[in-house]
Amino acid sequence: MDILVCVKQVPDPETKLRVSPSGKTFDSDGVKFTINNTYDEATVEEALRMKEEFGFSALRVISVGPARAEEALRSALAMGADEAVLIETPRDMPLDPLLVARYLAAAATDIPHDLIMVGRQAQDDEAGAVGSALGEYLGLPSYSFVTELTPVPANHLLKMKRYVEGGEEVFSAPFPAVLSILKGSKDPRTPTLPNILKARKKPLKKIPVMDLEAKVANLPGGTRPTSETLAFTLPPPRAGAKMIEFQTPEEAADRLLKVLKEEAKVL
Amino acid sequence: MPIDFELSAEQKELQELARRFARDVMAPRAAAADHSGEFPEDVYREAWKLGLMNLNVATEYGGSGLGELDQCLITEELAAACGGMTTSISANCLALQPINIAGTSEQKERFLKPFCSDYHLASFALTEPGGGSDVAGMKTTIRREGDEYVVNGEKVFITNAPHASLYTLFATLDPALRHKGITALVVPRNTPGITPGKDEDKMGHRASSTSSLTFENVRVPVANRLGAEGEGFKIAMNTLDSTRTPIGALATGIARAALDHAAKYSLQRTSFGKPIAEHQAIAIKLADMVQKVDAARLLVWRSAWLADQGKPVPLESSIAKCFASDIAMEVCNEAIQVFGGYGYMREYPVEKLLRDAKLTQIYEGSNEIQRLVIAKELLKRVA
Ligand SMILES: Cc1cc2nc3c(=O)[nH]c(=O)nc-3n(C[C@H](O)[C@H](O)[C@H](O)COP(=O)(O)OP(=O)(O)OC[C@H]3O[C@@H](n4cnc5c(N)ncnc54)[C@H](O)[C@@H]3O)c2cc1C
Repeated sequence: MDILVCVKQVPDPETKLRVSPSGKTFDSDGVKFTINNTYDEATVEEALRMKEEFGFSALRVISVGPARAEEALRSALAMGADEAVLIETPRDMPLDPLLVARYLAAAATDIPHDLIMVGRQAQDDEAGAVGSALGEYLGLPSYSFVTELTPVPANHLLKMKRYVEGGEEVFSAPFPAVLSILKGSKDPRTPTLPNILKARKKPLKKIPVMDLEAKVANLPGGTRPTSETLAFTLPPPRAGAKMIEFQTPEEAADRLLKVLKEEAKVL
Repeated sequence: MPIDFELSAEQKELQELARRFARDVMAPRAAAADHSGEFPEDVYREAWKLGLMNLNVATEYGGSGLGELDQCLITEELAAACGGMTTSISANCLALQPINIAGTSEQKERFLKPFCSDYHLASFALTEPGGGSDVAGMKTTIRREGDEYVVNGEKVFITNAPHASLYTLFATLDPALRHKGITALVVPRNTPGITPGKDEDKMGHRASSTSSLTFENVRVPVANRLGAEGEGFKIAMNTLDSTRTPIGALATGIARAALDHAAKYSLQRTSFGKPIAEHQAIAIKLADMVQKVDAARLLVWRSAWLADQGKPVPLESSIAKCFASDIAMEVCNEAIQVFGGYGYMREYPVEKLLRDAKLTQIYEGSNEIQRLVIAKELLKRVA
């Protein structure tokens, strides 16, 4: 019984982004990329738990991205994944979540998978669409926002908890399936130095996107992104804070009330 | 392509591991440990768990067998968060290096393996009250009795001594023999007759622990001797040759932290209606600081790279250590100046950096001694 986890390399949250000359994405020049998306780290951790506690055999990780995305895969290998696959794209290839899902689906047909797990969303575009699209393309059921996962491998059943507004839902479903993980039951482990060194020796297969084009062309939507980004803008700079001067607490409250009513007009 | 400054993907990962640990585990504790002088052993245990200790122990004995450049990359990252914690974390590399260099495979098996399978600290015990620079003048004696040596004497300023479970000790068969009498022994802490002194109250590196060690008729099996009798001086010098460059990296890390704080502060702090970074006097300071930090890092990398090629680096490692520690003092000093009065306050991070930087000019061979070595090597090469 094999698990396939999809990961994405994202810009470091501390890095400063600039809009690219095209105005449709961010400029990746000079951007520091973190090794992994935090939701993906939680997902890899949960997948490792499936292996350690429920007897799943192999854990493979897969990513669609340029050569540097290998770093994200190595980091997952250092956490404990067994093998990795990089679907290598040219550096600035236009991708949208659905096209990414098509490439993943095309590659996944050759990779054993009883369970496919993805992070609920990537920290950068926060689309959260790849998991359900992947299920669709592979003809598998998909379940989103899973917060707890207990497989019953003998019956090919999953008992899951998922987040619903204001509460939780507990349900069961058969697998193979695609799950998007909201959070794992444990904090993701930090790869140790010896495991980082060992990860270098684990198999990492690179598949150029071209090699998958024929398969992707046969999926609904084909080899072009389904959606097109028209414009990409950064959040407006935050306006400066306004300090309220006061002598007594009563005066502070009065002045604050006045500002909220008359200037901010929120009351 | 004869020179390549690009780090390998693996090196970047090691650096990232150290950076994250420094940011998430060390940095939040640095100020408090500096104020109280506590020994944050939980941090060191965590470093051990991640494999950030004992970097120089070979893989055969359970270590990660990293080269010097990799060690330097990690050390700089750790030191940027806390110099004192980094001193205590890397003290194991210093203490275990004599065993790496001169131990038999049986000794390596016996002494190194436990450090890789469990958390332990070790200390390198060389310096004596009578003097650290004049190693050959040491007074701690060993006398052979059957299958044992009997050790008597006192060591001072020994990093981690009160917490260590193993000491690599340098002592002499006879002080009159000077460097020819020095012999290296591995001494377990629980051997009767060893007493660590009180934890020294230090100017900086306060998260590290430093104390004296007295040896009173301490009996050590001959099987714990590293190399032959009289080879201890050479073992100590070879050890310091390989740990000197990482000290340069440690100093670079402290300097880099000071530069980083100063540059960020200079953009926030305004005077005369603009950020102080826009006053040329401050901008020029920052420009000088960044040049120094960059030059120090490159000297460290060169020395480490040469050592990893198997070349002897007495000159290059001394240049790296001496330069990096001197500029660390200058850069930290200027960082305080950029912060103005706030820089002088303990609530702000930069005065600690200056206090931490100071030690790097003193330990593992004072900078005066480094300069003597540098001049001697230089003259040897032109003669
Ligand atoms: C916090 C801390 C941790 C330490 N950790 C360890 C440790 O783990 N293990 C260990 O063995 N030691 C350790 N040391 C000791 C350290 O290595 C010595 O302090 C250092 O080598 C200098 O020796 P000293 O203090 O005896 O100074 P001295 O040797 O007495 O020197 C005093 C001054 O004279 C100068 N000087 C000496 N000889 C010459 C010369 N020939 N020419 C020009 N100038 C000279 C020195 O540079 C120095 O400025 C530590 C020290 C400190 C402060």
